[in-house]
Amino acid sequence: MNIKRKISRFELLMDAGFGAQKAGDILISAFAKMGKYVYIEPMIPAEISPPPRTRPALSGVIIRLGDLDLTNIGNDTDLILASHEIVLDRRLDDGETNEKAQVLLDMGDQKNNGESYEQVLKRLTKMGLKVISFEITAEAQDAIKVLGGKGKNMYYLGMLSAIYNMPNTILVEEIKATFGKKLKGDILDKNIAIFQLGYDFAKTNIPFSFDIQGVPHGKEQVLIDGNSALSLGVIHAGIKFFSGYPITPASSIMHNLARLLPSYGGMVHQAEDEIAAIGAAIGSYFGGVPAVTCTSGPGLSLKQEFIGYASVAEIPLIVIDAQRSGPSTGMPTKTEQSDLPAAIFGSHGDNTKIVISVANVIDCFYAPLVARYLAERLRLPVFIMSDFQTANSYKVIEKPKMADIKTVDDIPDFVLERFRLKRLPAKIEMVRDSQLNPGTPGGMRRVTGLNTDAQGKVNYFSATNQRSHQVRNEKVHHVKRCLTEPERFGGDSGEILIIGWGSSRGSIEEAVNNLTKEGVKAGGMHFKIVHPLPEKKMLTDIFSKYKKVVTVELAYGDPLKHPPLMMLLRDETLFDVNCIICRATGRPLQPANIAAKAREEIAKTYESHPSKVTV
Amino acid sequence: MSTTQQEPQKITIKDLQTENPRWCVGCGDFGIVMGLKRFMVDQQLPLENTVNVSGIGCSGRAPNYINTYGVHAIHGRPITVALGLALARPDLNVFIHSGDGDALSIGGNHLIHGINKNFNCVFIMYDNELYALTKSQTSPTTRIGHKTNTQPRGTYLEPLNPIRLALGIGASFVAGTADWMPDHFTTTLNAAFAHKGFSFVHVLQRCPHFDPHNFQHKETAWFSFLRHDKGIAPDKRVADKTEIIDHDPSNLEQAFKFANEKRKYFGLFYHDPAKPRYDDILIRQTKDTPQASLDTLFNDYRIE
Repeated sequence: MNIKRKISRFELLMDAGFGAQKAGDILISAFAKMGKYVYIEPMIPAEISPPPRTRPALSGVIIRLGDLDLTNIGNDTDLILASHEIVLDRRLDDGETNEKAQVLLDMGDQKNNGESYEQVLKRLTKMGLKVISFEITAEAQDAIKVLGGKGKNMYYLGMLSAIYNMPNTILVEEIKATFGKKLKGDILDKNIAIFQLGYDFAKTNIPFSFDIQGVPHGKEQVLIDGNSALSLGVIHAGIKFFSGYPITPASSIMHNLARLLPSYGGMVHQAEDEIAAIGAAIGSYFGGVPAVTCTSGPGLSLKQEFIGYASVAEIPLIVIDAQRSGPSTGMPTKTEQSDLPAAIFGSHGDNTKIVISVANVIDCFYAPLVARYLAERLRLPVFIMSDFQTANSYKVIEKPKMADIKTVDDIPDFVLERFRLKRLPAKIEMVRDSQLNPGTPGGMRRVTGLNTDAQGKVNYFSATNQRSHQVRNEKVHHVKRCLTEPERFGGDSGEILIIGWGSSRGSIEEAVNNLTKEGVKAGGMHFKIVHPLPEKKMLTDIFSKYKKVVTVELAYGDPLKHPPLMMLLRDETLFDVNCIICRATGRPLQPANIAAKAREEIAKTYESHPSKVTV
Repeated sequence: MSTTQQEPQKITIKDLQTENPRWCVGCGDFGIVMGLKRFMVDQQLPLENTVNVSGIGCSGRAPNYINTYGVHAIHGRPITVALGLALARPDLNVFIHSGDGDALSIGGNHLIHGINKNFNCVFIMYDNELYALTKSQTSPTTRIGHKTNTQPRGTYLEPLNPIRLALGIGASFVAGTADWMPDHFTTTLNAAFAHKGFSFVHVLQRCPHFDPHNFQHKETAWFSFLRHDKGIAPDKRVADKTEIIDHDPSNLEQAFKFANEKRKYFGLFYHDPAKPRYDDILIRQTKDTPQASLDTLFNDYRIE
């Protein structure tokens, strides 16, 4: 049975350390080559090799592919391939399969774990999921044994390639491209042989396949993940200095730039800690050399004192925060959007900074340029907020247009427009009149975190300090006044307006489109620049056209706690903004979930409670 | 086009003034900043190419009182800012001002890695053996038994030994001097500046306000000078008043011996001009890497 689909989603579930991620990467490259669009979500434990056959060992990939551009990971899975019953059981907890989903379960471990298998099979029956149990063929088992137990991923890769009607030649090419340099000839051949055995096995033994059309992509199309796009964006923006400290999920930005930045006249400094990393970026920017530092949750906490310092000392600064699930160490390999308050309000005292966010890999590419423009024009810290999902999601995109950036004013209009920003005024007042770079004769000046007058002289006078605050805040207000209407989806009036920021864009757009198709009058709205928000009137004019205004956020909230975006919008507009999704499960937002919650919300009538957070 | 060659103006102490320092009368920091200015005049260092970077504390204020570029950063972290500056702008002369609390307590981690990275700067450690700007608390170098506001029954532990610490981490240049010996201080800065790498200069600094009897700056019997033709000459004013020991600054073992003694030694403990420099390596790497064009930026991500 060949099932024709526009979009399909499947999962490969294995123990960490056995190459599920590699198999996923190879598959999406092959899909991209065949003209399909992909969206991938890696499920990775925070440890390198947790004990196999345990629930924490789950390492897998969710892949959504289609013949149209995909903006998010989607809702439900059509197919799961699991290497044993325990990782499958763990994943079933998330309840992301559709009612027709098929489960391919490798029975190889059943011999010694009969009871455990039986329980999970019962659970599958209860859930109404169809199971096809299989065993890796003896011939393939022997080859896997030769490889020291590795190579199962190649077998599964073969099976999935066959089920998704991929030509095996394309896959063999991809395997060679991936391992060709690393593996010796005979080992590479063994891997390819195992792949082929899996492919043949599925062709003969799996009674169905999925057919997703695709028109081969043009030469100008690339397959790229969020962190890589950010890395290339840093280079494109003319940033010459990167300093960081290893932290998941931001590290791969440092890996990319360590490889690439010297070829573009820059350098990468791996600092001794998060504080040293931001300190060095500040030092570089004080010297007039554009710099960026990059981190995730715990590192953001550590960097806070320097962030406040940079705003007071008026040293430009760019901080990339690839958000993960917090607080504290939290879930390093899961996604969340809960660093927003720490970015906006973090560091002590009144804080002035700009917070921009990225919704997809194209945003990732342009965000460093926007951040540099704002940081240098305002001499303030600028955040780029990404998250685990965006950092690791691959997408097929048209190679982004590039510009020759000599100074920040060379930023093209289309980039500013993408972030819903107009050009800043030509003259922006600084706390200190002189902002010359070292090396400029006659311009010698000292910066300090102490309060100073316009000449840069330290003082503790009431009026001077008040002025410093006013000038710093006015810089942020300039941005507020330069914000144009945020991106909108669906109807411009109706029952409900669904609002998000950062990586939630794709899911909101898809949910609103689906609701509209169903005849529900729904609108969507997405912020790329999250701080400052547009002026009150711009927002309330939009809000007042909908009966209900709600946020969807990957941050915790409950009826007694407003999640961050809801809180900010309420404060900004005094509007009765509610929240319909405030999840801290580590799972990305899903369109079907948003649509379902929106329908529920539309149906509800409230009495007098001032704020409503749906849990 | 005719050009009029103008003789560059000679830099004088006056050119280096900014405002009257807000330190207590008799503070050793005056001597250190004046010594640095004398050194800059001796060397005729262009003001615009010099950056003084500091942390927090009385010493942290120093850059504000020297007319160069300056970064008065946050507590304990001047090394991090200075390193970013040294990497991005190797044309600048970088001086770091850091107190005993700043360098050894809150900023200890950065000191370890600054020394190990051996990037080019002169690190001046102002050691008054207590926290002064916050009004007399025990610091890592406070002598045992000394009463402070946080350890009022007397400081509990033996102090950290900054010279030994620097030697132990593998500093390429370790010297000791004092704020009240202007000649020795300036000579020390000359040697530290001539060394390309992380020059660790430990300075005993008086704090007449909170610990007036600590350093017997009028006495000389409690210290000796280390002397060598590759080292730092003893202070002219007091050279004949105390012991002078010949010490080869390439002798690390002997340097440790001096550092371990209770007695104080001023001069060049250790010097290794050959230690590799992190800044040099990174800058050279960028210089030696063939430059790519933006057109090739996405090459690794092409689909075909």
